[in-house]
This record gives sequence, structure tokens and C-alpha cells, in this order.
Amino acid sequence: MTESLSKQSPVRAFIARAGREPLVHFLLVGALLFGGIQVVRSLQRPVVRIDAQELGQLAGYWSTQMQRDPTNEELQGIIHERVDEEVLAREALRLGLDKDDMIIRRRLAQKMTFASEDTANLPEPDEAALKAFFEKTKADYQAPPRVTFRHQFFNSDRGKDQALARAKEALGKVASGQDEALGEPFLLPQTYSDASLTDINKDYGQDFAAALLSVPLNQWSGPIASAYGYHLIKVDSRISAKTPTLDDVRSDVLAAYQDQARKARNATFLADLRKKYRVEISGMPQTVLK
Amino acid sequence: MGNRWRTTAGSLTAMAVVLAAFPGSTAGSGSAVTGSAAAKAPVVAKKAAASAHLPGYNTERNAYFGDLHVHTKLSFDAYIFNVRASPDDAYRFAKGETIGHSGGFNIRLSGGPLDFVAVTDHSEYIGALQEAANPKSPLNKLPIIEGLFSTDPVKIGAAFSRVIAAMGSNSLPVEFKDKAITAKAWKEVQDAAERNNDPGHFTTFVGYEFTSAPDGKNLHRNVIFKNAKVPELPYSAIESLDPENLWKRMDTWRKAGVEAMAIPHNMNGSDGIMFEPTRRDGRSMDKAYADLRMRNEPIAEITQIKGTSETHPSLSPNDEWANFEIMESYIGTTKPITQFNGGYVREALKSGILMQDTKGFNPFKFGFIGSSDTHNAAPGSVEDRNYFSKAGRVDGKAEQRGSIPPEGGKTWEGVKEDETSSLARFKSWGASGIAGVWAEENSRDAIYSAMRRKETFATSGPRMRVRFFAAYDYPQNILKRSDLVTVAYRSGVPMGGDLMPSKGKAPQFILWAMRDPNSGYLQRAQIVKGWVENGVAKEAVFDVACSDHLAINPATGRCPDNGAKVDLSNCEPTKFKGDAEMKTLWRDPTFKPNQRAFYYARVLENPSCRWSTWDAIRNGTPPNPKLLPTIQERVWSSPIWYAPSL
Repeated sequence: MTESLSKQSPVRAFIARAGREPLVHFLLVGALLFGGIQVVRSLQRPVVRIDAQELGQLAGYWSTQMQRDPTNEELQGIIHERVDEEVLAREALRLGLDKDDMIIRRRLAQKMTFASEDTANLPEPDEAALKAFFEKTKADYQAPPRVTFRHQFFNSDRGKDQALARAKEALGKVASGQDEALGEPFLLPQTYSDASLTDINKDYGQDFAAALLSVPLNQWSGPIASAYGYHLIKVDSRISAKTPTLDDVRSDVLAAYQDQARKARNATFLADLRKKYRVEISGMPQTVLK
Repeated sequence: MGNRWRTTAGSLTAMAVVLAAFPGSTAGSGSAVTGSAAAKAPVVAKKAAASAHLPGYNTERNAYFGDLHVHTKLSFDAYIFNVRASPDDAYRFAKGETIGHSGGFNIRLSGGPLDFVAVTDHSEYIGALQEAANPKSPLNKLPIIEGLFSTDPVKIGAAFSRVIAAMGSNSLPVEFKDKAITAKAWKEVQDAAERNNDPGHFTTFVGYEFTSAPDGKNLHRNVIFKNAKVPELPYSAIESLDPENLWKRMDTWRKAGVEAMAIPHNMNGSDGIMFEPTRRDGRSMDKAYADLRMRNEPIAEITQIKGTSETHPSLSPNDEWANFEIMESYIGTTKPITQFNGGYVREALKSGILMQDTKGFNPFKFGFIGSSDTHNAAPGSVEDRNYFSKAGRVDGKAEQRGSIPPEGGKTWEGVKEDETSSLARFKSWGASGIAGVWAEENSRDAIYSAMRRKETFATSGPRMRVRFFAAYDYPQNILKRSDLVTVAYRSGVPMGGDLMPSKGKAPQFILWAMRDPNSGYLQRAQIVKGWVENGVAKEAVFDVACSDHLAINPATGRCPDNGAKVDLSNCEPTKFKGDAEMKTLWRDPTFKPNQRAFYYARVLENPSCRWSTWDAIRNGTPPNPKLLPTIQERVWSSPIWYAPSL
């Protein structure tokens, strides 16, 4: 036995010996497995699947545009186009063509923004929270002062001093109870009922608007200058700047509350996100430096 | 590089504005995706409609100022001009807020908030460009737009001309007409109008622009809806270039309870076809046609940034003020207009009364408004000292509109100006166009009704007010009476109205104007008359009131020069010239009871700096010698018509 064995070539002997080694068994089995998986993989290509629902959508889209249903041939075309789009897109992704593309990046960022907004359920605030929010933002709902008044106009196109004198003279007369219509016709209204001071300010200027708030009630005062000439004014009533109650403006407050909550959530979301990254910025673009 | 950008941007501009000139013109789109301020600061809760009237209600009517011609990113051309501001942004701007300009600076009205606004994006391909810029959209894959959103101006230019050419030949891919895109944008327009309408304070209208331009000849109309009841989709020039078909569609809508009016504009760019004597399809006009037209087009936009269409110097050689912000080219190109006839409203009003006499109908019996046509989502941005033109990135800088020497130059010496460039057009544009209405209150109903009865006026930008009434027997002291307006309405007709036939007396006119406190003083008040005499329509301009104690020269019929000038080094006007108010009672000295006529008021301010001069002053360079350094701002009332018999 030994003799016959020794007659074997050294190579054969080596193989025979190796054949008995467990490590070699292991490697062989591994190689077979590997090769087999490769073969199976090559048979199993990635799948592009268009399901009935999507197909229905595509066909519907086509029909809306063309105002009729597609023929079988056209349907084939639609399917082919969709498949081509898919494989092109996947191939592009595989080749990394989505990298450094501003439009794709923006679109992805946008989708992420939507996604994060969608998932964040907006809180329905309790009464106390809403009330507290309203107290903080009250100024936004403030209505301007409102004034009910009359005025008389004295045109100064033919001389300021003269107009001022006429206005003063008229003031003396109306103060002593005489006929009130001593001024001249005026192209803008001469009586205002419950007018917003903001509107008056726009048409007559600040001095005139301020005077409406300061003159004594129910008596003629002036003369007050405007961009048009001089005026005597008589304020019947004033409602000072009014802050509404929560109930007056509840739906607006709620909308503002939720808007603010949404913004706060988005900001938190972004801040958390930023923490996951180390941001490095190097230099400024040439154009900005210039 | 800088130079290359400039030239390309220039030619891009040229192409860009062509847009409007092509048959199916422009469009924009509207997903609310981009950063527009959709969610707005809280507004004061609207009062329950329990009380009968809104604050400020006035039976004698108030003047309200607005803009009914506004484009946003939803418009095809605006999007290409890099405008990204939304309808919401436009309304915010009109309310006095600050918005961003596509050129990278902030813009804001200096004259304060407007009272009413309609966003009127081009209905053709509305929203499609925004859609095409969205990589998810099928439009984004179309070869035709390849490069349109590139950062390379050369590629943008090439893509843009491709798109324009396709529009011109109506061969844009069908995807651009996708109803889903139109519907989305149309909804954004409606939603923004609804959100921003605030009765008593600020009125919005849903609207769009019908952008028809056969062979580049402008027949554009803005369609304004009375309220939130609007059709599912706009009727656009893609469906028909013939405005008559638009009016027929509007009649159909009306039957279904959708009330709207169309407002034509830029007659000056129509090469004579806006007021052509036949129907668009060549058939002759008849009474049914005239009724259809007037039922749907009660008013016209006679002034805007792309020029003023009141009259042309060649049509009104005896009107010394006819040469006001005249634009003599097609829309969007430098192709010259050859037919002024048929492109200006004064002449159209004359043709109208002549037709009434000879044929028994008048298709041109309309009132006046002005509006901006901003493509920057900036309603009312027609302020000469605060002017940034109207086409976004394309003309937002002074150098792009020819008001300062190119390339940082300090002088105009040796500067060659290419009169066929886009720049040549931008420098001819004017900071003009505000709509005025006389309405009881600031609401959709009241303002829309005012427009229906043509109680409207147009201004070149300032918010001056003008009253205009006519009657036969006003009391002699009416101008001094405190019930002036009451009497004027009770015994006469306001602007836009019809005078009853005369029983022998000549009509009297009350013309009453008040300056804009933020603008100049008034210099002269005029009445423009058109009439038919022996089968010929004629016109005359009467000075009827002068400022500064001056009396009309009986020999010339004109006010003497009031001496108002402008210091061109700082745009300061001569002090103490002009009046805050002008008021007169005028009886027509040339009246003949058997002559059909119309009358409208025109009131001029003292001279003031044109926008181009303001640009130059800010730049520290002399004004462009080829441009008029000053203008006379003005207001036009709607006409009052006189008929010899009922």
C-alpha cells in the first residue's frame, strides 16, 4: 500500500491529501454556492411592474387630453413609454446622474418638506392656549379708530392767507350758532359716518386725521390744513382703536395659531435635521465678494 | 462673460415680449408650491352682512382706484421673465406690502394701497411654464422646452424662440394645453381672489387675459368676473382668435348666471384692427353685432405701460397734448405700426357716433379706465419716481430700458442706440395706467356696477379724482352749492351716461377735478368733443378751466402758460404753480341740436419728471436726450353721449 502510494506523483499526493482537509471542503462548497447564486441572479433581473391601477391612471390621463379612449395600439404605446421612462430613470440613478442636479435636489427637498408637514398633525389648541395666543397677538386684530364727522372746505388755490381768513371767519360764525354751510363744495365727501381713520389719513393726510382724534366733540374746530386747502371739522362721535374679543375673530385666530404652530414644527424639524449633519461651507462665490 | 449675458439677455427680451404678439400668447400656472405667502397674517374678522352698507358707503359715490390688468408667475411670459410672485403676492403688493422683484430688489407702492385689483394672467397656457419647470411633469420631458430653465442664457434664448415659434404656429405640444394644468392655475387665481377680497376695504375680481393677436396684431382683452361665479375654465385665444366668439361665450355664461365683461387694451398695438369697420371675419357689422359687443365690452383700457391709446398726433393734429406716451410698434417687437387709424379710442368714438347716424347702431360706445399691465405681480406700479417697468428680469434695471448710458457710461455722447432692440421699446413705455370708478362702496357689486354704467375714469398714474356731469338746466350757482353732487346727479347724467335730446338748449357740463396729494398740482381742465357734421365725424379740444387765476385766451381758446416748470437736476417742480382743485360749469358754444356728439373730460397736471429722468437722476447721469424729460400726468373721464333724438 505504502509502496503503491509512494508511486503516485507528488501532485496527486497533494490533491489526495488536500481532499481530506475540511478547510478545502468548506472552500469548495463556498465556491459552488457562489457560482450558483450568480447564475440564479443573472436569471432574476430587476422587475419593472406597472399595476392595473397605474395603467388605469395613465390611460385616463391620455383620454382626458385626447377626449377619447386609447386604442389597443395606443395603449401599448403608453405602456412602452412608461416602461422606458422607468428603466431610463433607474439606469440614471444607477449611474448617479441624480447627483449635483439642482432641479432634482430641489424637488426632493420639496417632497421632504411636504412629507414632514403632512405627518405633523396640527394641534387643536385648547381654549387656554388659544386665549394666550390671542392675548399675545391682539395688536394684529386691532381695528383703527372710527370717526363720524363733518367738515367744511376752504379752497386755497386763490391764496392761502385769504382761505385761512375765510375759514377763521366762518368758524366765528358757526361757533355763534349761525348757518353751518359756509364752506365750499368739496369733491370728496363732506360727511363721514363711522369712517376708518386709516382711510381718512390716506385721503387727507396725517394732520387732518390727527385733528379728528383731538378736537372737542360736537363743536366746530379748525382751521386744519390738508393737501387741498383748509377745513373746519366737527366730530360727532369717535370710537377709539378697538381690540376685538376672541369670539369676534376666533376663526382667524385659530388659523393664525395653526399657521404659527406649523411654522414652529417645520423649524424644529429642520433644526433637528441639521443636527444630523456637519455643515461645511468654504468661501464665498466670487460675484458676492465683488 | 458679463457682456455676453447682457447681449443674450437683450435678445431674449426681444423674443420674450414677442410672446404677447403671437396668436396664442401667454400663460402661467399655479401650483401653490413655490414660496408665495399663501398663509397671511390674520385679518380682522369680516363683519356679518347684517348691516345694509359697508363702511364708507356714500349715495353720492366715492372715487376708488384700482388696477384691472395684472400678471403673475402664472402667465407664460412673466414666468420666463423670471417672475415667481403669485396672485397672492400681487394682492399683498396692492395692499401696500413689500414684495420681491425678480431682479433681486424689493418693491412697494409709494402712493399707498389700491382699493381694488384683478389678477389677469394670460389664459393661454396658464400655469404651463411653471409646470414645465417641474421635473415631475410630463411637460418637463418635452424636447421643445429643453434649455428653457437652464442657467445658460444662450440655451434659454434658443429654447425660448422655439417655444414662441411653436406658439405662433399653434404647434405647441398638446401637453401644454392639458386641462388639468389650466384648471390648477385657474383655481389658484380664484382662491387668491377669494382670500384677499375684503369688502369695505379691498376688492378683488377673478379675471384673466384673452390673448388674441392675429398676425401679431393686438386684440387682447381682460375678462373680469363680477363675483366668484366663474366658468370652469377660461375661454382663451387658443379656442378662437376672434373676440366675437369670446363675447358669444360670455353671453352663454351670462345665461348660466356667470356675469363678466371684457376690457380691450393696447389698441395702439393692433395696427388698426381693434376698431376696424368690419367684423373680424370680414362680414359687415349690424345692430346685433353692436349690441353683442357693447353688452360685453362696456369699457376700454385706454392707457397702460405699453402706451396710451387715447389718440395719436397724426389723428388729432389740433390737439397739442396728443403726443402722450405713444407706442408705435407691434406688441413685443419693434415692427412698426402702419395703421394708426382704428387703433385709438377717440377716433373709434367718432366712428361709433357716425355709424349710429348712418347705420343705426354704435359698436364703439365705451367708457375709459387705465391699468398697468404689470408682469411683476405689482398692481399700480405706474409711479414715475418709483418705476421698475413691467417685465421682470428683462427691463427691471435702468440700463435695460435705455434711461441711463450703457456700460456704466457717464454721458450720452457717442452712444449708439439700436432702435430695433428691445431696449428701444422699453424706453418708449410709460409709467401709466390706473382705473378709477365712482361707486357707493368698496365692494364687488358696487364697483362692477360702476363699470357696467361706465362711471369710470382713467389716470396716467396719479390718483386724481374727476367728476363730470351734463344737463341742460343746472342752477347758475351750482358750483357753490353744498348739494352740488346731489343736484348734478338729480338733474343730469354722470360720466358714461346719455344726455336726453335737447329741446333747443346747449348742454352744460360740470367738470370738477381734485389733485392727488402725492402728485403734482393741476394745470388745466379740458373737454374733448367729437361730433358728426354733414356726415363727417369731427373733434375739438376745449380748455374749460385754467389754474393760477388765469383766464382762457379768447383768440386761441387756450389757457395761457402758467409758468410751471421742472428743475431737471432734481425733478423739483416750480413752487406755487397749479391748483389743488379745478371746477367749472361749461356750456358748449358750438352745440347744434341735430349733431350727434360725445364729450369727455381731460385734466392735466403741471409738468413733472418722466420715469426716465428719475432713473437718470438716481444714476447721476443726464437724461437720455432722445426721450422727453417731462410729461404732464392726466386724468380722462368716460364720455357722455348726446343723441339728437331717442
